[in-house]
Amino acid sequence: MNSRFMNQLENVLMPIADKLNNNRYLTALRNGFLVALPLIVFGSIFVVIAHLPFIDKLIGEEAYATFQDALGPASAATLSIMGLFVILGIGYKMVEQRGGESIYGAAVALGAYLILTPQVLGETTGVIPTSALSAQGLFLGIFTAFIAAELYQFFVNKKLTIKMPEGVPSSVSRSFSSLIPIAFTLTIFLAVRIIFSYTSFETVQNFIYTIIQEPLTALGSGLPATLIAILLIQIFWFFGLHGQIIINSVLDPIWFSLNDQNFQAFQAGQELPNIVTKQFVDTFIVGIGGSGMTLAVLLAIFVIAKSRQMREIGKLSIGSGIFNVNEPVIFGLPIIMNPLAIIPWLLAPVVVGAVTYFAMAIGFAPKPAGVIVPWTTPALLSGYLATGNNIMGSVMQLINMAIVFTIWLPFLKIMDKQYYESERTAKKAS
Amino acid sequence: MKRILLACSSGMSTSLLVSKMEQAAKEQGIEAKIWAVAQDKAPEDMKQADVLLIGPQMRFMKKKFSVVAEELGIPLDVIDPVSYGRIDGKAVFNHALALIEKG
Repeated sequence: MNSRFMNQLENVLMPIADKLNNNRYLTALRNGFLVALPLIVFGSIFVVIAHLPFIDKLIGEEAYATFQDALGPASAATLSIMGLFVILGIGYKMVEQRGGESIYGAAVALGAYLILTPQVLGETTGVIPTSALSAQGLFLGIFTAFIAAELYQFFVNKKLTIKMPEGVPSSVSRSFSSLIPIAFTLTIFLAVRIIFSYTSFETVQNFIYTIIQEPLTALGSGLPATLIAILLIQIFWFFGLHGQIIINSVLDPIWFSLNDQNFQAFQAGQELPNIVTKQFVDTFIVGIGGSGMTLAVLLAIFVIAKSRQMREIGKLSIGSGIFNVNEPVIFGLPIIMNPLAIIPWLLAPVVVGAVTYFAMAIGFAPKPAGVIVPWTTPALLSGYLATGNNIMGSVMQLINMAIVFTIWLPFLKIMDKQYYESERTAKKAS
Repeated sequence: MKRILLACSSGMSTSLLVSKMEQAAKEQGIEAKIWAVAQDKAPEDMKQADVLLIGPQMRFMKKKFSVVAEELGIPLDVIDPVSYGRIDGKAVFNHALALIEKG
């Protein structure tokens, strides 16, 4: 491959990676999700337990229903209201970045979001619908947290704070010093809510949903956009840049809200509406040895490699590869900047993405149930868990591995031959 | 005592290097504290470090970290991709030592 072209491409990609990764809002978004993650995983574990197979046969239907009810709050208080934690996380991280009192950033973000949220459910007033706090509320929540934190920090920087005389305990003076910035910020959100109540949308929720969330989610749930996202992740990685951290920070809100729709349907025992979700990408494409599904590549190495170099890399990479950490094989084989690796590296995930999509569309494989499986969960187990305890999820992962294995095989053979021959000449020379 | 900080996206893949580097330090009889963190924790942890090494897949963070490193007066560099792929603890450890020497 033309190295000048490669260099030029890297020169284009590096600044993009730099911009996306260092963008203040995307950083806060990513870290905000990290705040929610432990809670989401906790909730998911209990969903998995509540839906373990054969329990209903073992203990009887009635006891099973009681069992499920007892575990229900675990996910209802975490996974189902993940938006709440993301909003807190983003508000916190936004203000932290600016060196402010971060806990007030979290508070003001949540306050602003709740002001925009209609506190009514059917005829009952004085309730906060959990749907507003679920992944469905993510879009508005994210924007609100960004804006609220920025406004808060703006008013703090303008020194619109109440100064306490010396001798007042610092925690008291701190809460007073955030009083005016928080009051101003929340007043602005109240005004926004009032303005919207005079429009045909009635609420900000409706407005965001119609104008942004629905079209974006529809786009993100389609196969073409997903394949492009997967391809971009692979291209970044080909240049040795962390593809997911760059691409996912943009797509996570969409993928998570699609996930949530499936989760709601799964809990209700209805048909799952979406194929493309967070877990579609994480479990069936990335979660088979890491990005590029290199677990199958490692298996292929063990089957065919004669060269010492390749076998060494295989041995070094397999341990972490099982848990989907695959930097050793990406940098060691190497895959990055390797003209022999680029075709299978880009092709395999796209083929797997398309095959998985159609397999789920025709009902051969189950759709992801909206359960969030940690990305370090080994393949086969992760497929089983992500589809709501369905063994066909593991089968789908096996098929995907076979696809990756087949696509890589001829290219690995050429690479191995090259290494083997250079090892032999080196041996002869010495 | 050499204090070497490694950073990558979530501190996972660099942590593979840590044990290998500790081994290399032991072999050379050098007392060293080596640890790996996620990129977002790095600026905070840099205060306790003599040197920062960045995983090659996060090399676009170098510019951002350089600002902090300069303030603290510690050197930093991106880990060589080949050593990274081979989890070559010795090479990366020597790289870190050379950076500390140079200041």
